[in-house]
Amino acid sequence: MTTHDQIRQIEVDAGPRRFARGWHCLGLARDLTDGKPHQINAFGQKLVVFAGEDGTINVLDAYCRHMGGDLSQGIVKGNEIACPFHDWRWGGDGRCKQIPYARRVPLRARTASWPTLVQDGMLFVWNDPQGNPPPADVTIPRIPQVDDDRWTDWIWYETVIEGANCREIVDNVVDMAHFFYIHYSFPTYFKNVFEGTAAYQYMDGAGRDDVRPATPSRNNPTVLGTTSVAAYHGPSFMIDEVTYHYEDLDVDTILINCHYPIDENSFVLQYGIIVEKKDGISDADAELMAAKTGKFIKYGFEQDVAIWKSKARIDNPLLCEEDGPVYQLRRWYQQFYVDVEDVTPEMTDRFEFEIDTTRPNEAWRAEVEQNLAARRG
Amino acid sequence: MSTPRTDVRLDVRLEAAPMQPVGCGTCGATVLARKSSWDQTTLQWTAAALATCAERRTTTAGSERPNRNAFTGCSALTAAIRAAAVAGQLDVQSDEPLPTNPEAHP
Ligand code: FES
Ligand SMILES: [Fe+2]
Repeated sequence: MTTHDQIRQIEVDAGPRRFARGWHCLGLARDLTDGKPHQINAFGQKLVVFAGEDGTINVLDAYCRHMGGDLSQGIVKGNEIACPFHDWRWGGDGRCKQIPYARRVPLRARTASWPTLVQDGMLFVWNDPQGNPPPADVTIPRIPQVDDDRWTDWIWYETVIEGANCREIVDNVVDMAHFFYIHYSFPTYFKNVFEGTAAYQYMDGAGRDDVRPATPSRNNPTVLGTTSVAAYHGPSFMIDEVTYHYEDLDVDTILINCHYPIDENSFVLQYGIIVEKKDGISDADAELMAAKTGKFIKYGFEQDVAIWKSKARIDNPLLCEEDGPVYQLRRWYQQFYVDVEDVTPEMTDRFEFEIDTTRPNEAWRAEVEQNLAARRG
Repeated sequence: MSTPRTDVRLDVRLEAAPMQPVGCGTCGATVLARKSSWDQTTLQWTAAALATCAERRTTTAGSERPNRNAFTGCSALTAAIRAAAVAGQLDVQSDEPLPTNPEAHP
């Protein structure tokens, strides 16, 4: 029997009661510009997203300031959203433009509207608990490949994660070992760099013989390895540039891994994929590859979700030297949860951490060998 | 239960072996570094050190790729940290000897 003071206790700090300051992707613009209102539960609130006749996408608080009607159940009329309860018309700027049965609109008929950005096919909203507008230097990098004919169109997935705070998914960016155990990859190089509002992950991976198709075919070629440069740009939007190395060619992909909080204990996870159409690969094959990559990533996230659903929140993780910089990542992440004037240099100063993969790779090679031996029977 | 903490916690691994200062021989910037083994490096910059770094200033952002314009690191500083470790001025936590090229020692 161990005594109490020999046991390391899991500690849980006060969970954030606010939602991160920053640009959050709500989805693809093409899915939100159908002239219908869309309900989005985010940042502990209910929002309505709609595009009027002018094509501009607007994001408003969903609850009508008249008698509380749900605007996401309303109808888009012209450039306004009409409340289903008494037909008050709200513009994208949050102002009530018209009440069909009234002589005039009362004073202060204004609801919360959210700054938006449509870029590279995606809709972003700016969340700031202090209500400040987005600073000009806090941006999402452009992805010119989206408009390039040599790349496929977005394949996009969305899934709701219940029972976990979105910090769990952000932790992944430093968690090298989980890529082997949860995602069937084999990291051989792993480095993180945090600076300002960006958190980078440089990862090279080897192919895994034990998860490969037993008989590779033209449609299912053997991945020899991957090179990945991934980065969070702000608290919730990650771009991951992954090159898949095959025997006779390299295929470039760009993945998006983004989320927005529904509340403190649930979030919406979204991911998108575009794939470069290489010479000698037909458009159909490139689309197929994008779809396959999407399936693989979907499977990967399902593995994460299974872990998140049953794990504990832990603020004092016990780390070995082969783990990544979990504490420093959380220190970086903290900048999005404090008032902008309380952001300290330690949260944003450049920090680098390169893992020594020697020992992990020895252990993983042995495990792959064991799996192969088991497969051979 | 005690009141939950809200401060930023220190990496548990630094409790026994904290970061140590290392100077860059090329630009003179001072950073904090730590090595748990010859091939692991933890590196904490300050704004002042980053402003001093010569490689940082000559890095140009010209890539069409969204993630490829970031500064990946300073090679002069990497060399300085390694030299400090070899010279014993920077601790290496693992007691494994410095890996050498076996070809060089027949
Ligand atoms: S509650 Fe919206 S119009 Fe009355
Ligand atoms: Fe994961």
